[in-house]
Amino acid sequence: MKAELQAGNSSSVSLQNPNLFPTSQSSISGALQGCLSSIDGACIERLLLHCANALERNDVTLAQQVMWVLNNVASSTGDPNQRLASYFLKPLILKASRVYPASINVNDSSGGDESFQRRPMSVTELARYVDLIPWYRFGFCASNGAILKAIQGFSRVHVLDFSITHCMQWPTLIDELSKLNEGVPTLRISVLSWRPRVPPSLNAPVQEVGQRLSNFAKFKDVPFEFNVIELTGLPHDQSSSDHLHYDLLIRLLMNDLSTLKIRDDEALVVNCQNWLRYIPDDRKMGNSSEIPSCRDCFLDMIKSINPCIVTVVDEDCDIGASSGLSSRITTCFNYLWIPFDALETFLPKHSLQRIEYESDFGQKIENFIGFEGVKRIEIFESTSKLSQRMVNNGFSSVAFCEDTIKEIKLLLDEHASGWGMKKDGDMLLLTWKGHNSVYASAWVPQRLTELEPWENSMLH
Amino acid sequence: MNDSTVSVDSSSGNRTEAPPKPGAKKRNLPGMPDPDAEVIALSPKTLLATNRFVCEICSKGFQRDQNLQLHRRGHNLPWKLKQRSGKEIKKRVYVCPEPSCVHHDPTRALGDLTGIKKHYCRKHGEKKWKCDKCSKKYAVQSDWKAHLKICGTREYKCDCGTLFSRRDSFITHRAFCDALAQESTKVQGVAATPCADEDPKVDVLAPTAPQQPQPPAPAPPPPPPPPPPAALQAPAQTRVSTDVTASVLPVQTPDLLESTSPNPTITPIFEETLPLVNLTTSCSSGGSSGSSSNGSSSSKVFASLFASSTSTASLQSQTTGFTDLFRAISHPDHVPSIAQPSSSEPVSLCLAMNQGSSIFGTAGQERRQYAPAPQPAMSATALLQKAAQMGATASNASLLRGLGIVSSSTPHTGSQEWSGQLIDPDGASLTAGLGLGLACDGSSGLKELMLGAPSVFGPKHPTLDLLGLGVAANGGSSGGLSVLMTSINGGLDVTGSAPPFYGGEYGDEDIGRRS
Repeated sequence: MKAELQAGNSSSVSLQNPNLFPTSQSSISGALQGCLSSIDGACIERLLLHCANALERNDVTLAQQVMWVLNNVASSTGDPNQRLASYFLKPLILKASRVYPASINVNDSSGGDESFQRRPMSVTELARYVDLIPWYRFGFCASNGAILKAIQGFSRVHVLDFSITHCMQWPTLIDELSKLNEGVPTLRISVLSWRPRVPPSLNAPVQEVGQRLSNFAKFKDVPFEFNVIELTGLPHDQSSSDHLHYDLLIRLLMNDLSTLKIRDDEALVVNCQNWLRYIPDDRKMGNSSEIPSCRDCFLDMIKSINPCIVTVVDEDCDIGASSGLSSRITTCFNYLWIPFDALETFLPKHSLQRIEYESDFGQKIENFIGFEGVKRIEIFESTSKLSQRMVNNGFSSVAFCEDTIKEIKLLLDEHASGWGMKKDGDMLLLTWKGHNSVYASAWVPQRLTELEPWENSMLH
Repeated sequence: MNDSTVSVDSSSGNRTEAPPKPGAKKRNLPGMPDPDAEVIALSPKTLLATNRFVCEICSKGFQRDQNLQLHRRGHNLPWKLKQRSGKEIKKRVYVCPEPSCVHHDPTRALGDLTGIKKHYCRKHGEKKWKCDKCSKKYAVQSDWKAHLKICGTREYKCDCGTLFSRRDSFITHRAFCDALAQESTKVQGVAATPCADEDPKVDVLAPTAPQQPQPPAPAPPPPPPPPPPAALQAPAQTRVSTDVTASVLPVQTPDLLESTSPNPTITPIFEETLPLVNLTTSCSSGGSSGSSSNGSSSSKVFASLFASSTSTASLQSQTTGFTDLFRAISHPDHVPSIAQPSSSEPVSLCLAMNQGSSIFGTAGQERRQYAPAPQPAMSATALLQKAAQMGATASNASLLRGLGIVSSSTPHTGSQEWSGQLIDPDGASLTAGLGLGLACDGSSGLKELMLGAPSVFGPKHPTLDLLGLGVAANGGSSGGLSVLMTSINGGLDVTGSAPPFYGGEYGDEDIGRRS
């Protein structure tokens, strides 16, 4: 056969140059080895990696081929592996399109809204959304537990809320405060006017959320105030990098504390819920030393306003900013199967709720896999790295009390039996079938007296 | 179990023979048996056996001897029903065979056979019954059934009519619910009963007296099942999108319908998760040939791209694909056209929806343990073949275009969008795939895969170029597809002589098909 083909017309690439052609490792056979009878999760992962490799080598043809196979396997209403595959396929296609950018008019400026029109939710829909699986409620419960403990004795509480869930955490805190025997403190919640453009998306402005919270607090007889911190000076251009926002935020908070109206008699609570991973973490080399990343600056700023508790809840996914496509695919695939698997246990294949929930994770996948550089807006961090970072920035961890842990266990009992919890030092980890998903932690600024003198001098 | 004093009531004793009188029994404290009772120790096998009484003729099993006897009548066998004996029946108690169990001790025996059976199952038996909604497992079927009734049972009720099983979700909902927003005066009510938490007493809009979980005559709750303002973007078929009345655990249990809660909006929610299935199955046939109006699955797009010409409507759906699929999903009034196996398309590659079963397995392996997607038409091998054949049947449609990546409003024609590497789409273009990579030694691996899998090339189309590229002509990507194509061509020729591939001349109908 070789001979025959070589005899053919050579208007295309010279047939005689075998060096142009990679070995079988690059072929689709490699991808499908071992998958001959079935295409399961491992196989899908392999296919994805093959596709990624092909793209990295600019082997668009092979990439197409693998994508074609994947496309026939993937389904947003199939089993979890199929559903995951469908969400991975899209960013890979986006990447392929960038290999030949002239041909494709892809609007890739936003974080992934261009094709799937996931409609924003109403406040009540969002209230239901956050309780679909414990993914968010776990963090709410743990954080509120730590907050309640930390504010004991204070008659005024100020919560600086950095989160992506539109204040869904606070009704339960308000409710708990209303039941305090030793007197109900005044509660003030401050949120930013801006948040990362990620799910879950709400169809109401933050002011409306605040209004409803105020109504609720009034109903509960909890003195309440809601502030929106305007980040003015933001460019309206949608395509501007989020870096700009964080820079502004940090500068704003550091230079203009009067905006926050921080008071001495208030217990100041900083709540970072699914927040830190959106703050850029690139460190650059300055003139003489490394310029700390945005993320470190943010933490430093937080420390400087001397909160009595800082709650940090985030996703326990171990992948850094500079990881290559293949490792991102593997990590992401091995992490996000968790919510997909969990939803599978109790929602039918065609459940709209499930599809919407999954598509929100799909947006994550799309951004994480499909974009590079500043456009990739999520930079995950494992629990150990986060711990290290917090310590480096001058915080020490605080354990959660037994009541909180009990409450979380009760919460998990209400959900599918695969959900569990474990401790990692002072942190709490939400697990699904034993795998870590979300962590919750609480921190206080290290007191100067706790530090060694040499540490102290390093901080200033 | 009757009164603890020894009773002449014949319904005491062996309860498997006497129908229990509703409300007539007074139970001993569990594990504190009548000291005069006869202690019976049954084996685990006996306790677990469900059908202990077996007909000798047809081997049909029965739980009760009486039932067996009645059955025997049908075989014209002598049968005998035990009569209720008039004399005093000795009370029996049963011990658990499990030595470590507290009920193994005769002084802690349980008073009835059914009880000991259930106890043994629950405590020492395998949990075979699982709740679909919350994955709780039970060893005793009646426990499981009882749980099903209450799983997702609402204990907290919002003014808007929504019921919640958990306080935190109830609180969160309540904080943002419209019903709260509409209250002008509030009377602080701390929950007195678990059933209705904090329902304010004074509210003209509140449908009921707050303490009753299931209000008798309901005015339907304020704005028709108060859809949150501006929220329900899904149009007419609101039954798929009303959120307010859905429970937090998004399950629709039969009891939701049975409950006396008159809220009419609850009813449609019952169908929330179900009808999508029905709707899609009903329209699958409509969607299978070519594009449905609401978008076809992306796999159908692929299929349509590469299908033989028998699939006439398929090319119209080139701009469907991900865009439309997702759009269809996001708009519940459109029936999402879920990929269904399409028998009308010879190269349909839709995979049926799979009932993936997740197995709680070892760490790191769970996600791999789903039942593999059923492959109604395509095994992995077949997919591989098809992938290689893609070029053989492709039209000018580009792969990516078919996936809907391009903006859907501007149809792209063939290969012209690719700059710089263009080859005449109509006749001469040939991807890297065909005719190339032949020297690659890696083809042997593929051949092994492809052995014995002859395929017939579909009708010829001028270009093989999936991206409209002709890229390989300039030495760009080659790689796997080329190898794949080669081996397929090598192994597939029907007449036995490999159809030669001529670069750039693949479009010639005479070439490549010898049969």
